[in-house]
Amino acid sequence: MLKKYIISFLFVFLQYLVASQNAAAIDYKAYGFIQPEITTFFNGDGRHGQSNSNQSIFVKGTFITYLNNGDQKITINTTGRIDEKDSERSYIDFQKFKYEQYFDDITLKIGNELIFWGVNESFNIVDIINQSNFAEDISGTKKFGQPMISLNYNHSYGNFDLFIMPFFKERIFPGRNGRPRLALEVDKSTVAYESSSKKNKIDAAVRYSTVYDDYDIGIAHFYGNNRSPELNVNPLSQKLDAYYPILSQTSLDIQSTKGAWLYKLETLTAKNGEERHFGIAGGTEYTIYGLRETTSDLGIIVEYTFDDRNDFAFNNEGVLALRWTKNDIKSTSLLAGLVADMSGSSNRFFAEFEQRIRDDLKVFIDMSINGEIDADDFTYAFEEDSQLTLKIAKYF
Amino acid sequence: MKKMKFAKIIFIIFTLFPFYLSAETAEEQGLRIAKASYENGRGFTDMVSDQLMILIDPKGNEVTREVSGKTLENLDPNDGDKSLTYFKTPKDVEGTVMLSHTHISDDDDQWLYLPALGRVKRISSSNKSGAFMGSEVAFEDFSGTDYRKYEWKFLGEEMENNETFYKLESYPNYENSGYSKRISLIDNLNRTYKVDFYDRKGELLKTLYLEDYVLYKDKIWMANTMKMENIQNKNITIFKWLNRELDVGINKKDFEKSSILRLAD
Repeated sequence: MLKKYIISFLFVFLQYLVASQNAAAIDYKAYGFIQPEITTFFNGDGRHGQSNSNQSIFVKGTFITYLNNGDQKITINTTGRIDEKDSERSYIDFQKFKYEQYFDDITLKIGNELIFWGVNESFNIVDIINQSNFAEDISGTKKFGQPMISLNYNHSYGNFDLFIMPFFKERIFPGRNGRPRLALEVDKSTVAYESSSKKNKIDAAVRYSTVYDDYDIGIAHFYGNNRSPELNVNPLSQKLDAYYPILSQTSLDIQSTKGAWLYKLETLTAKNGEERHFGIAGGTEYTIYGLRETTSDLGIIVEYTFDDRNDFAFNNEGVLALRWTKNDIKSTSLLAGLVADMSGSSNRFFAEFEQRIRDDLKVFIDMSINGEIDADDFTYAFEEDSQLTLKIAKYF
Repeated sequence: MKKMKFAKIIFIIFTLFPFYLSAETAEEQGLRIAKASYENGRGFTDMVSDQLMILIDPKGNEVTREVSGKTLENLDPNDGDKSLTYFKTPKDVEGTVMLSHTHISDDDDQWLYLPALGRVKRISSSNKSGAFMGSEVAFEDFSGTDYRKYEWKFLGEEMENNETFYKLESYPNYENSGYSKRISLIDNLNRTYKVDFYDRKGELLKTLYLEDYVLYKDKIWMANTMKMENIQNKNITIFKWLNRELDVGINKKDFEKSSILRLAD
C-alpha cells in the first residue's frame, strides 16, 4: 500500500520536474527492443510433466532525460515478459525508475535501481542488492529493480556509497509449468522471515570502491533480509516453504588487469540467521587478440567458487569457457563452456551465440546441455531440461 | 681590421650554417616535425563532439555508426588524454559507454559499460591492433596519436597533388602493434595529410587520409574527416567529426570510473 503511494508520488514528482522545464528544451533518449523467443527441449516432455517446447516474448524499454544542464537525471528502464507456459515467468518490472541529483562530489538517488557488485564472469557471489528472478533464468543473473535512497560521495581516495532499501521483494521461482523448475512448488502463502518487520524491514548497505593502478577494488557490507531464502519441504503440503533469514555480509572484490590477463577475486564472510559462512570465487581471463592473423579474439575464462556450507548449491564448482569475438560488422560472438561440480560428477555444457543480422535486428542462440547430474545435486530436478533457445531482438 | 673580423665571422657563419643543418640527423628531423605536427592539435583543454563512422565494403554497401564523445587533454604532459565515448548506433549497442585513460608508455586503462550486462567492466587494452566496432580503424589508430609512441625518421620531401610534403617514417615503440611501420606525409603547416600503414609482414595494409582541417582558437588544427582505406580487403571506413567544440569546461571528475554510470542507462 505504502509502496504504491510512494510510486505514485514519484510519478507526480517526476511530472512536476519535467513540466517545470521548458517543454521544447527537454532532451531525452528513448530506446528498447522486443524479443520473441522459441525454446525446444531435447529430452521430450519434462520430468515434472512440462511441455517439450515454449514460446515467450521479452521486452525492454529505456527512457533517459537530463534536466537543469545535466544536474538531474531521470532514468526509466522497464523489462517484461509474456510466457506461453509459465505464468510466474510473465511479469513486468521497473528495473530502474530513478531520479538522480548531482552535486559537486555527491550523487543522491531515489527510486528503483539495479546495483551490480563484483568482477567475475560466472560466480558473482558478492552481488547482493537486487532480488533474482529465477523464473526468468534459473542461474539467478536476471534481477528485479530494488527501491532505494542512495548517496554516493566521490572523494579523491575513492567512492563511498550508502544504500537504504525499503520494500523487500521475495524471490520469484518458476511455476508449475516452468521448465526448468524445482521438483516442488514454492508455497507463496507460507513465506516466513527472521525479521519481525518481515518484508517491511529496511535493509542497508555501504560500499567503498576505488581504482588503484591496475586494481579495481570494492569493499562492502550489507545488512538486511537475505535475497536467497532457505527452502524447506513442508511434509503436509508437499510444497517448499521459503524462509528469509537476516543476512549480515561483508565482501571484497578485486580485479587486476595486467595486459591481456585479467585476475578476478570475490570473497565474503556472512552471518545468515545464526550461522556464519565463508565464500570465495575467482579466476582468470586471458585473451588472444588477432587469433591466427585474423581480426578475431579468443578469450579463455577459468573460474572457481567455494562455499563452506555443505548444503549450499554452489559450494565447489568450476567453469571453463571460451569466448570468441569475430570483431566484424555484425558483432558475431560465441561463448561456450562447461560448468562442473568439482566434488561430484554433475556437469553442464552451455553455448551462447549472437550476431547482428540487420542494423535493428539481432539473433541469439542459447544452448544448455546437462550432462550427468548426481541425484543429490539441486540441479538434478533440471537434468532432463537440456534446451535450445532462439531469440530474435528487434530494436527501436 | 674590425671590418675584416666582421666579414670573417659572417663568412664562418655562412660556411658553417649548412653543417648545422646537416648536423640534425634524419631521426632528429623526423622527431622535430612529428612533434610540431602533434603540438599543432594540442592546447584544446577539453573537447566534445559527435562522430559518424561510415563503413563501406568493396561492393559499396554502407552502414553508419554514431557515437559521441568527450575528451580531457592531459594535465600532465607526460601522461595521455582521457576520453569518454557514448555509443548511439547500431541500436543494440545504444547506451554503451567506454572510458579510456591513455598513457604514453604503459597500457591504457579502459572501462566499458554494457547495457545488456548492466555493469561496468575493466577491460584489457593490450588489444592494440583490434578493429574498432568492426571498422578498418584499429584501437591503436586512436590511442597512438602521441608522437612519443614512435621512433621517427625524416625521409625527404615528396610532391603530391601539386603540394610538397615532408615524408616521415615511424616505427611503434609499444608492444602488440599491428604495424611494422607507418609512412606519413605532413604539409608545410605541420598537418598530417596521409599515413600509410604497413602490416607486421611489411606489406602495405591501410592508407589514412586526413581531410577537412579546421583551425580552432586560431592555433589548433584538427581534421574533421578521416578516411581509412584498407588496401588488402578493400574496405573503407570514414570518420566524421560533427559539432566539435573545444575548451567547454568539462569537469575532470566526469572522466572517473564512477562517472560512467551518469552517462549509462
